[in-house]
Amino acid sequence: MVLANAFRRAWFHGRRLPGRALLARLLAPLTLGLVGGCSGAAVEVPQEFPIPLVEKLPLRMGLLLTPELTSYVHEQTLEGSGDWRIELGSAQTPMFRNLLAGMFESSEIATTAGAPGLAGVLEPAIEEVQFSTPDQTRSDYYEVWIRYRFQLFGRDGTLVADWPLAAYGKANQRHYGMSSREPALQAAALAACRDAMAFFTVQFRSVPDVQRWLAAELAGGSE
Amino acid sequence: MMRRLLIGSLTMVLLQGCVTATVQQVRQANTSMASGDSVVVLGRRSRPSTAETELDFVDCVGRNMRGGKQVRVIEEQDFRDALFPWFEPRTAPVNASDLPELMTLPALAERFESLGLRYLIWIDGSTKRTESGGSLTCSITTAGAGCFGFLSWENDSSYEAQIWDVQTATTAGRVSSDAVGTSYMPAVIVPLPFIAPVKSSACSSMADQLLTFLSGGG
Repeated sequence: MVLANAFRRAWFHGRRLPGRALLARLLAPLTLGLVGGCSGAAVEVPQEFPIPLVEKLPLRMGLLLTPELTSYVHEQTLEGSGDWRIELGSAQTPMFRNLLAGMFESSEIATTAGAPGLAGVLEPAIEEVQFSTPDQTRSDYYEVWIRYRFQLFGRDGTLVADWPLAAYGKANQRHYGMSSREPALQAAALAACRDAMAFFTVQFRSVPDVQRWLAAELAGGSE
Repeated sequence: MMRRLLIGSLTMVLLQGCVTATVQQVRQANTSMASGDSVVVLGRRSRPSTAETELDFVDCVGRNMRGGKQVRVIEEQDFRDALFPWFEPRTAPVNASDLPELMTLPALAERFESLGLRYLIWIDGSTKRTESGGSLTCSITTAGAGCFGFLSWENDSSYEAQIWDVQTATTAGRVSSDAVGTSYMPAVIVPLPFIAPVKSSACSSMADQLLTFLSGGG
């Protein structure tokens, strides 16, 4: 109470202020707050993803999700613009579950490579994440790059394919109003995840090692 | 009550800058909509182009067309999700001639059928600030706050819609909408913005023209 009164005295110099001055004094900390609040952002990628609309492969597939993937967080400090955090991990489970649900006749979470009854087990990993802000690129865009690595294990648990995938997403800060920092970065990260799904869907059957594995599986040679 | 409404309307009119809008269309094929047919309005986000059509403009055209109640307009995000991954920036068709190849995928053809999709409308373009001038200074002191000066800026909207006929996999035509307007903000203590609704004019003009185009008119 004493502190509050001392603050009030210091703030108002012990005199009654006219309305305009009072407004000005109330606006000043607000302005300072707005300026001070313009540093960094922390976002989490939303967990809703579509299921790819493709011809399903008649295979039972396993999905191996490591704790490193499902808890992946990218943190970076940018000089002059604070601390940035993109939480990607929590989105990986729904993302890859939907991806496999659309691409294969059936899929399930596997705990090891070479689980019984599964034609193959896919293990995705995030190798690197980068992002850029409009201040850095002198553009209107937040951009996010994710470099994935996929490993495909056969029925017996041996590695049959290993390939990288680079996904990219961007979002225009002007689409997200005055406080665009977090929603635009989140939209860019989500776009990168969707791009990874789209790229995986169209690329999967053309990876040479995957093609060989698929040919053998579809011919029933590995049954 | 009536007086307040009148003053409100008058204020709105006075506070809007002037906008000049132009709409043009090029028809390459006949168009018609049967009952149950739907259209979707999509913003161009294909690569390698770095430009993107503003989300709010695409949304605005779709909303205005839906308001006409003559056609069923599918939400852009719902459409992209339903057709995932075939309309993502990496995979979206660039020309109407790419559609037959996409339609060879049975699941995709079935989805188009179930949506009753007849026309795909791709919107390309943006609104840019082309000129700005003047200066305005605001200050907050212990005696009060206020602004003094004059600002003006010109916005230029330029959009083109390409209409693809899903049944024939051809481009049915193009509609372009351009709008230019100057906004002003004089300030003597209180700034008074006279905003020219450039983008919304381009949006409503384009939506009206698209409805006319799809109904076979124009």
